[in-house]
Amino acid sequence: MEERPQHCLSRLPDNSALKQQELPAHRLYFTARRVLFVFFTTGIFCLCMGIILILSARSTQEIEINYTRICANCAKLRENASNFDKECTCSIPFYLSGKMMGNVYMYYKLYGFYQNLYRYVRSRSNRQLVGKDIKAVEDCAPFKMSDNKTPIVPCGAIANSMFNDTIILLHNINSSVQIKVPMLKSGLTWWTDKYVKFQNPSSKNLADEFRGTTKPPNWPKPIYDLDKKDPRNNGFLNDDFIVWMRAAAFPTFKKLYGRLNRTHHFTEGLPAGNYSFNITYNFPVTRFHGEKSVVLSTLTWCGGNSLFLGLAYTVTGAITWLASFAMMAIHIMLKNKKMSFFHQ
Amino acid sequence: MFRRSLNRFCAGEEKRVGTRTVFVGNHPVSETEAYVAQRFCDNRIVSSKYTLWNFLPKNLFEQFRRIANFYFLIIFLVQVTVDTPTSPVTSGLPLFFVITVTAIKQGYEDWLRHRADNEVNKSTVYIIENAKRVRKESEKIKVGDVVEVQADETFPCDLILLSSCTTDGTCYVTTASLDGESNCKTHYAVRDTIALCTAESIDTLRAAIECEQPQPDLYKFVGRINIYSNSLEAVARSLGPENLLLKGATLKNTEKIYGVAVYTGMETKMALNYQGKSQKRSAVEKSINAFLIVYLFILLTKAAVCTTLKYVWQSTPYNDEPWYNQKTQKERETLKVLKMFTDFLSFMVLFNFIIPVSMYVTVEMQKFLGSFFISWDKDFYDEEINEGALVNTSDLNEELGQVDYVFTDKTGTLTENSMEFIECCIDGHKYKGVTQEVDGLSQTDGPLTCFDKADKNREELFLRALCLCHTVEIKTNDAVDGATESAELTYISSSPDEIALVKGAKKYGFTFLGNRNGHMRVENQRKEVEEYELLHTLNFDAVRRRMSVIVKTQEGDILLFCKGADSAVFPRVQNHEIELTKVHVERNAMDGYRTLCVAFKEIAPDDYERINRQLIEAKMALQDREEKMEKVFDDIETNMNLIGATAVEDKAWTEHQEYGLIIDGSTLSLILNSSQDSSSNNYKNIFLQICMKCTAVLCCRMAPLQKAQIVRMVKNLKGSPITLSIGDGANDVSMILESHVGIGIKGKEGRQAARNSDYSVPKFKHLKKLLLAHGHLYYVRIAHLVQYFFYKNLCFILPQFLYQFFCGFSQQPLYDAAYLTMYNICFTSLPILAYSLLEQHINIDTLTSDPRLYMKISGNAMLQLGPFLYWTFLAAFEGTVFFFGTYFLFQTASLEENGKVYGNWTFGTIVFTVLVFTVTLKLALDTRFWTWINHFVIWGSLAFYVFFSFFWGGIIWPFLKQQRMYFVFAQMLSSVSTWLAIILLIFISLFPEILLIVLKNVRRRSARRNLSCRRASDSLSARPSVRPLLLRTFSDESNVL
Repeated sequence: MEERPQHCLSRLPDNSALKQQELPAHRLYFTARRVLFVFFTTGIFCLCMGIILILSARSTQEIEINYTRICANCAKLRENASNFDKECTCSIPFYLSGKMMGNVYMYYKLYGFYQNLYRYVRSRSNRQLVGKDIKAVEDCAPFKMSDNKTPIVPCGAIANSMFNDTIILLHNINSSVQIKVPMLKSGLTWWTDKYVKFQNPSSKNLADEFRGTTKPPNWPKPIYDLDKKDPRNNGFLNDDFIVWMRAAAFPTFKKLYGRLNRTHHFTEGLPAGNYSFNITYNFPVTRFHGEKSVVLSTLTWCGGNSLFLGLAYTVTGAITWLASFAMMAIHIMLKNKKMSFFHQ
Repeated sequence: MFRRSLNRFCAGEEKRVGTRTVFVGNHPVSETEAYVAQRFCDNRIVSSKYTLWNFLPKNLFEQFRRIANFYFLIIFLVQVTVDTPTSPVTSGLPLFFVITVTAIKQGYEDWLRHRADNEVNKSTVYIIENAKRVRKESEKIKVGDVVEVQADETFPCDLILLSSCTTDGTCYVTTASLDGESNCKTHYAVRDTIALCTAESIDTLRAAIECEQPQPDLYKFVGRINIYSNSLEAVARSLGPENLLLKGATLKNTEKIYGVAVYTGMETKMALNYQGKSQKRSAVEKSINAFLIVYLFILLTKAAVCTTLKYVWQSTPYNDEPWYNQKTQKERETLKVLKMFTDFLSFMVLFNFIIPVSMYVTVEMQKFLGSFFISWDKDFYDEEINEGALVNTSDLNEELGQVDYVFTDKTGTLTENSMEFIECCIDGHKYKGVTQEVDGLSQTDGPLTCFDKADKNREELFLRALCLCHTVEIKTNDAVDGATESAELTYISSSPDEIALVKGAKKYGFTFLGNRNGHMRVENQRKEVEEYELLHTLNFDAVRRRMSVIVKTQEGDILLFCKGADSAVFPRVQNHEIELTKVHVERNAMDGYRTLCVAFKEIAPDDYERINRQLIEAKMALQDREEKMEKVFDDIETNMNLIGATAVEDKAWTEHQEYGLIIDGSTLSLILNSSQDSSSNNYKNIFLQICMKCTAVLCCRMAPLQKAQIVRMVKNLKGSPITLSIGDGANDVSMILESHVGIGIKGKEGRQAARNSDYSVPKFKHLKKLLLAHGHLYYVRIAHLVQYFFYKNLCFILPQFLYQFFCGFSQQPLYDAAYLTMYNICFTSLPILAYSLLEQHINIDTLTSDPRLYMKISGNAMLQLGPFLYWTFLAAFEGTVFFFGTYFLFQTASLEENGKVYGNWTFGTIVFTVLVFTVTLKLALDTRFWTWINHFVIWGSLAFYVFFSFFWGGIIWPFLKQQRMYFVFAQMLSSVSTWLAIILLIFISLFPEILLIVLKNVRRRSARRNLSCRRASDSLSARPSVRPLLLRTFSDESNVL
């Protein structure tokens, strides 16, 4: 008992704020004014945002032409895989009632094509696509090697099933004169895909570099012949190829096919008038009961013409306002009853 | 041959009847009888669980016996063997982490135990072998060895004291480390071996000890020593607990002793009393297991639904194998049944995050770290004992917030256990207060102090009785001479009442001076020293509830003094003055004093001869010694004369409560212990029903076991209420161990209760804050933690489940593997951990001042079906919003103004971003107590998520086969629509929660208003007791004397 003073300090718990659970803290208090203010502002923000989004989306134009049924004979031809070398073209005329202003983007759209199947998504070789080791095909089952054991380039199910229709948009200025609408095949991909993730082997002559490999079974021509005119769009760097290689999230998807080159006749966009699509029909969709279409669309700051985001914002804003009006009513009612709703 | 088998048979017989024979020094007692060594265990103490060799397999086995660990192991093995969409690392890494941390913790604890064991087992002891002192390691001691122990050493095993350096063969021992009693106890050697106090002489001793087989009761021992001196006739002496020196106790104030080992190693009373930590499971843990089963069911359902739908979907050939997604050779060859099975397993693996491995880590950490707040609380610090609260287990923190019934020991717990002599009554005359004069009560005339006078002789007889009838000893510091007649005598005794009585007698002029050579010395009012030869002490026991001494006066008269509870004494006195005394006793009892009655009788010399013989006979008995002693005591303590009664005050810590029901131990035994016929069950039910109706029930005069029985009875009630026991003494240990939560008071009665408890606090009053503040907060924190964990993982996995409907049930994961792994470990773990350590939804002062708040969480309210469904539906709602919100967003041509399109990984990343922000902000909405730590971890986690996503997508990682996340996050943020969608989806997900919080705010405000109104009108609310928080008080007879 005598030596207590010495021990005393050592056993007494620290008087620190943390240990005594007395850390300085603030508590949230809801005052009527604060809560209602926050609700009203949020509501206003959502409503405004919603209206802006709806107006923006409505300002865009979109035309979709489903050519599965229209090119029925081609579709029938493609049902049978043995006819792969028979060419089939098909022309689809359509009338553009109003002109499409600004940048016009051309998409192809597939229905019922599952690019997100587990085996399918994994069936690719990044080491090959980055140009380091074009014979690295181990992840590409079941499209690793051809029957005579030469590695497939580009290997894998994704590359093998690449969309290979050619779509040409023609403008009929009058009944006799048709001009081809100029389309850019560049700038369709993510910058990082084109400049980092996909690289050709360093050699000047691509065909040499790909010697000892074979083309995917579904392809009519090898990878180094995708775009013979433009070396920056050939081989793994082909924009169509890169776009295809980014697997879509859902079985119905659009992929960017080209963008309007705004020169000469088309500096303003697409003028109204008669147009037609000239399609080389290679890609079989009826075999998996799918469909395909071609889409022309203009875009704004918020993307395409979907009203979803705008509507969602508007509805949320409206509900927030409803809630805040209800709260205000309850608040006034309770106030009259001398009861406080919120902290005053 | 025959002889050996006979011997073995005999040994077996001995074992069965429960005695063992020990030959002192392992010398055969006679040449005619061959010495057959009996097999006893060695003196090694093993408290460790593992050895170096079996640690890994045994520890792993024990860990995987936990159902959760086993489940994660299975998932991991499935991931390794079957081709599954997620990498084995995603579940293997957390599991490995959990297993390693636990193994390291357990290994370290076991290493500490090994070290402690070694310290004990390798300590040096001295053994007398062939008349020489031989140095040995403690673990080498065999039963029968004669051991020498010196002052301040602990006894290496249980020894029978043979001789000590003192002439009277006594030694002083403290058993502080065994039962916490720090006072010195005197132990005695058998008369015939006292003289053998050198190594040579002790070696000549030929004796055999017969004693019972080891049993854990520290205070019980029966044995007999047969000493074979030169004559062939053996001398038999009885051995009792006063002859037995326990392993773990320490020799004090005695230079050295010799003793013979009777129990060694794991058979010592200390080792038998060693109990592993009781495995108590809290209600929250049971709820977690229930939730686990529900979620396991959800998981299995999801996997089964997906597997079925997959095969339905694949029944059309163009879905089974479209031209663009041909099967590999291996897939074609696999059996369909086997494929279905592996598909099922793959789906399980894909959705396995719904049962989070990290929850177990977080819960463990929360419990471990959270328990520090109890021991850190300076409100629990008590200056007197210079200690704060102590947490012995962190598993039960939240149970403190769930207590329905409190069982408390009265003496020493509700009261301070410091007693004061208040008044006495002699022959029905009341004496109160302190007399100023030393020379006699009769001279202290005064209207207040003395109301009426009894006969002078009776007064003196009464005071002599108080001075003689007790087991108090005089504390001596160094010299063992009771002759020191200093004015300051320090009395020590195992029960504080006795000290109060002896001190009371001293106030009236009779001073007890101590024992010397078996004589009790008393100084009377005339300053003369009277000596009484102490012939027998008839010790107190809980059944008789009285004690007696038989003394011989200097004149040669033999007197018996007896004191005990009124009910135990009144039937045994013959005179007619009971009535007068009874009135006093009852009034004192009503005032809350502890009362004792004092009686005496004179014993004629012939009678004494008979009594003496009976007593010795009973003491020698090896079987049923207690019953025999009791019978003899009963015969002796009859026909006594009542002299008077005493009243002792036990200072209470808390103000008096109003009790609803008072019931005593003997009545209880009728209710609890009678045969299992219908009537006794009926009584039990009636008793319980009455108990339930009362705010408080007082059970008095209970044996320790009865306390546990009452606790068990209430524990097994319908709805299994949570019980809490609080006590300070060894007699409370049984109920502390029995109840859901056991609290020990670090009181004056030693530390046994505190050591067996789950939590120990210095004072009873600390229970209030422990339950109302700490218990409440811990419960709210951990309940929220559990609900939140299941919620955030359901949110996490539901979009992945929904995605299967859009990817042909092909097990394509929605999120990248890094996100799958890091979600629970890094992005969302710290905010909830900080919340579960720091949250104070109501501040501590309000919690302690208003016990009604405690009732709000009773009955595991936050983990019932209602809240569980609420959280589950909330999670389902949010998961649906995340998925379909993003789904509809993706229906547009492009999210960017330059027409670029996004793939599946961008979709998953948007969902994941919304998810991480929503669940973190949901926690932020739930946080009521924002410290800087909360701010830091909540905003820090979100910032870390953004930083990590940039980092993870910013580099081509050489170890990854697929650079699927490369720049996905950055590209995603370059779209304004994505930003707007993320913000909107977070807001929509949290909107119901925000509305609910505002509505709750209304309810709470009006409730508080009501409460304050009620409080103003109802003055009773100042009383802290709340109906379900009944207070059951125990007073136990073992403390009365």
